[in-house]
Amino acid sequence: MARKPSAPAPSQDLSIEEALSRAYAHWNAGQADQAELFCQRVLAVWPGQADALHLMGVMAHAYGNLDLALQHLRLACQAPRAPAVYFSNLAEMCRQKGLLSEGERAGRRAVALDNNLVAGWNNLGIILQEAGKLDESLSCLERVVALQQNSPEAHNNLANTCKRLGRLDRAEGYYAKALSLNPNYAEAHSNLANLLNDRGRLDEAAAEARRAIDLNPQMADAYINLAAVESSRYRFTEALRWLDALLVFAPMHAGGLAARAQSLIRLERLPEALESAKRAVENAPESSDAHNTVGQVLQALSRFDEALEAFDRAASLPGLATENALVNRAILFMENGRKDEARAAFDRALDSFPRSAQALFNRSDLKTFAENDPDIRTIEDMLLDGGTRSLADSQALHFTLGKAYLDVGNSDRAFYHLNEGNRLKRSTFHFDIGATTEWMRRIAKVFSPALFKSCRGVGAPSSLPVFIVGIPRSGTTLIEQILASHSQVLGGGELSQLQRIVDGIGVYPEDVVKFDKTVWERIGRDYLARVEPLAQGRLHVVDKMPANFLHAGLIRLALPNARIIHCRRDPVDTCLSCYTKLFTAEQLFTYDLAELGRFHVAYQKLMAHWRKVLPKDRFIEVDYEAVVDDLEGEAKRLIDFLGLPWEESCLNFHENRRTIRTASVNQVRRPIYKSSMGRWKAHARHLEPLLTALGVDLT
Amino acid sequence: MTIVDASVVDQQIHALIAQGRLEEAEAIVRPLLASGSGPIPLWRLLAQLSRQQGRLAETRAVQEMLVEAVPGDLSGRFDLAETLLLMGEFERGWREYHYRYSLSHTTRIERKVQRPRWDGRPMPGRPLLIHDEQGYGDTFQFIRMVAWAKERSQAHVILEINRESLSLAERCKGADELIVRGTLPPAFDVHCEMMSLPMVMGLKLDDLPGTIPYLSPSPTRVAKWRRRLAKLPRPLVCLVWAGRPAHHNDANRSMTLADLAPLAMPGVTFLAVQKGPKAAEAKTPPAGMTLLALDDEIDDFEDTAAILSIADLLISVDSSPVHLAGALGRPVWVLLPFIPDWRWLMDRADTPWYPQTRLFRQSARGDWPGTLARMANELAALRDKIR
Repeated sequence: MARKPSAPAPSQDLSIEEALSRAYAHWNAGQADQAELFCQRVLAVWPGQADALHLMGVMAHAYGNLDLALQHLRLACQAPRAPAVYFSNLAEMCRQKGLLSEGERAGRRAVALDNNLVAGWNNLGIILQEAGKLDESLSCLERVVALQQNSPEAHNNLANTCKRLGRLDRAEGYYAKALSLNPNYAEAHSNLANLLNDRGRLDEAAAEARRAIDLNPQMADAYINLAAVESSRYRFTEALRWLDALLVFAPMHAGGLAARAQSLIRLERLPEALESAKRAVENAPESSDAHNTVGQVLQALSRFDEALEAFDRAASLPGLATENALVNRAILFMENGRKDEARAAFDRALDSFPRSAQALFNRSDLKTFAENDPDIRTIEDMLLDGGTRSLADSQALHFTLGKAYLDVGNSDRAFYHLNEGNRLKRSTFHFDIGATTEWMRRIAKVFSPALFKSCRGVGAPSSLPVFIVGIPRSGTTLIEQILASHSQVLGGGELSQLQRIVDGIGVYPEDVVKFDKTVWERIGRDYLARVEPLAQGRLHVVDKMPANFLHAGLIRLALPNARIIHCRRDPVDTCLSCYTKLFTAEQLFTYDLAELGRFHVAYQKLMAHWRKVLPKDRFIEVDYEAVVDDLEGEAKRLIDFLGLPWEESCLNFHENRRTIRTASVNQVRRPIYKSSMGRWKAHARHLEPLLTALGVDLT
Repeated sequence: MTIVDASVVDQQIHALIAQGRLEEAEAIVRPLLASGSGPIPLWRLLAQLSRQQGRLAETRAVQEMLVEAVPGDLSGRFDLAETLLLMGEFERGWREYHYRYSLSHTTRIERKVQRPRWDGRPMPGRPLLIHDEQGYGDTFQFIRMVAWAKERSQAHVILEINRESLSLAERCKGADELIVRGTLPPAFDVHCEMMSLPMVMGLKLDDLPGTIPYLSPSPTRVAKWRRRLAKLPRPLVCLVWAGRPAHHNDANRSMTLADLAPLAMPGVTFLAVQKGPKAAEAKTPPAGMTLLALDDEIDDFEDTAAILSIADLLISVDSSPVHLAGALGRPVWVLLPFIPDWRWLMDRADTPWYPQTRLFRQSARGDWPGTLARMANELAALRDKIR
């Protein structure tokens, strides 16, 4: 066995070349102290020596000191003969610091100096990808893959650009190739999770993200992607849990903070959402994603001017959230009834991103399509060539065309696209209509007259809450808008608080028979804690979450003085309207005609039960068709039901600038219209499964 | 639900733990977690408390839950590793032990080798760098795996090792080339930390101990010490009462020489092979103990190895000489705290790592007197057998 003598103390007559070569060799072997010593010796006799500075920078980077690394690399690149690879490394460090333009310059310099430097093309390619210069990124990274056909990293990077270009099949193929070259490649698993989530393959996506975290427990993107999958499953608490787990080890991660804010918006925890989004901006002031998120929170908080400012800022920054920010500012105008500004904002978004599915989709609500509308051709082409970037985009475009063809009276084309959009949406979640109808039957059974009798006098006594319930698209938004035009009523929109309480009280409904006085009072107070801060001194706050029809019995016991308004509308009209809408919130029963019909029948049975057991001074029913025929009479009846004096403003509800954030956003701005009554008859041949389930006889 | 101000509770509990009042600390923590959910820091405290009281199954369950909840908290993974290894659960234990350089106080000392880690597969003739880390005891314990790595990899094995252990390593099988820690190694394809060998090679309890001895003393040093110790009456019992004071668990594992007074008995010659700041205690041995202070005459581990090879027994707290004697195949009695370092496992008086070693464990937290009383009985029996 040979034994090497231990290293002599570095002697003074070592040449610069030799000292540098030892420094690099020590670093290669992970001997950082020795490497640094040799670098410092070189810098002592030659301050600014580029190779020594470069190595110091590389080492600082390896130990997580990005700022110091950048400092060294910038100096190293100032040397007249700095080689291409130093610029290439500088480019990557700039990217990690979010300095995209400086990084891009360094990357271009690297490949200009050495056209064969694979790392240079690679680093430039991923900077261009982040900057949204996707076509150029694609050519850089295709070159890298050609030069390094067995590099998992090269395939992964190319896949990322393909994905952002909407070339999902190609992207998936490259990820698969990367993973076949290295099955333990955490980044590729995580990126694949992101792609699968966009494609609506949620179980596979979650498994890939989990695998990435197992392989590299501190890989931030994997947590963000896993949270995105949970959001796609409407499991926002789970999403939040993963983002919190990310922030445990990376408390300043801007992407994590922004994603956390998004989850908190969905959970209606807006003050926390704002704090999280603002921290994202603090940590990444140049991130369009962070500013866009701040805008979304402010929008949810009804702070529109500030929201608009944040969206404008986001739209002015390079990055991948620019398109989203442009669409969001248009939606903001739309929600506030500023239709002209909304149209202009959509036009601006589509000028920059002509194939923006979200812009095309959201704009469609603002207009009645004519036969020659150019959007129709554009979208048909987009759907034909597979150029959509995600399943969500494909769904949105099918629904857009569904609306467009309904507008022009082409029932066949309309239902082709509606069926397709609904089918795609329905494929992304599990839903058991049988179990759901059975559950509704159990609710009616548990909330029996006997239960109400034995629980007399329980609950929190406040008369603040007013619930508007029913099936979506049955006029709930209209009724809320009429009520909220009264000076003593605040429209709270669709609140998920009651559902959240129900989710937390054990086995529902069976467990409620065990509740005593204190539990009923606590449930009532839990709910009030959410709505009282909204009241601004008014006597009533409206919660128009339609699905609360399931919980009318619970409301009666927890909040005995709350009022419940049940909106009714012709079943086929309601269901058809649901079927033409792609909802933002979780809505599981509206994407299949037969399921819609069965759900509606079960709902009718449950409502018949509530009608029997709830007192008339707390439960009222209103028919959409009656409101259309006699707006004033019905409005007066409802205001009277709330115990309020009549105000004329309730008839001018469409002038109310209050923001609306449901699928009915543009309809309530118009004075009452009759075009939606009985409209289904023109489409009867496409509605057979629905009509059968509802028991409607066509003859 | 009660709102818990975790930071206040935290301070209170740490104060109790510092005073060893674990049961009281636990009485505060447990009700706060009774619902099955609570702040993560409280769960960490519960794991710590149950571990210190020896309830390992519960410790493990809590730590596994924490790793599942916050996979990126690498110190939590390391805590789990130490529990799993202590329970003899090697497979996941070695995997999580991989995070030993991801703790707040260790990230800066992680060695960032710019080549991949060996994946455990054969690589005939290609250079593999294995480098030691951490304490001397670790090196003595795990150097046995260098020969196994050589056999598995068929590589040209370069072993980089601390200067103090170099000459002992030269007489150990496995390495083709040996260099001192910090010197420039020849070019190599892949590397492996010495204590990552168990993870890479999938070490199982059944693989232990391998060939014993795997270290050997220097013949010239043995000759020298034979002369030095020749006239002393046997049995000769080497003594070590304190480990390196900087060790995080030193307060639990180390003693003073005075604490070893119960071992003093006629007919036994004690040799103080203690090194470091506590060695001076050998000048004032407890009453009735015949003790030869050797600190000044021991220059290096070669001297210690030679003495251990001649003496009849080493009695020691959990410190590097235990591993040196074990690797030399010499008899050792180890004094272990109630919850020892993971390498000693639980609930057994022997160790799979060293067949000649017996473990004397505290039967209750901090109970050295009871442990020493048992050991004194055994020592008297040994003396009577040898004489």
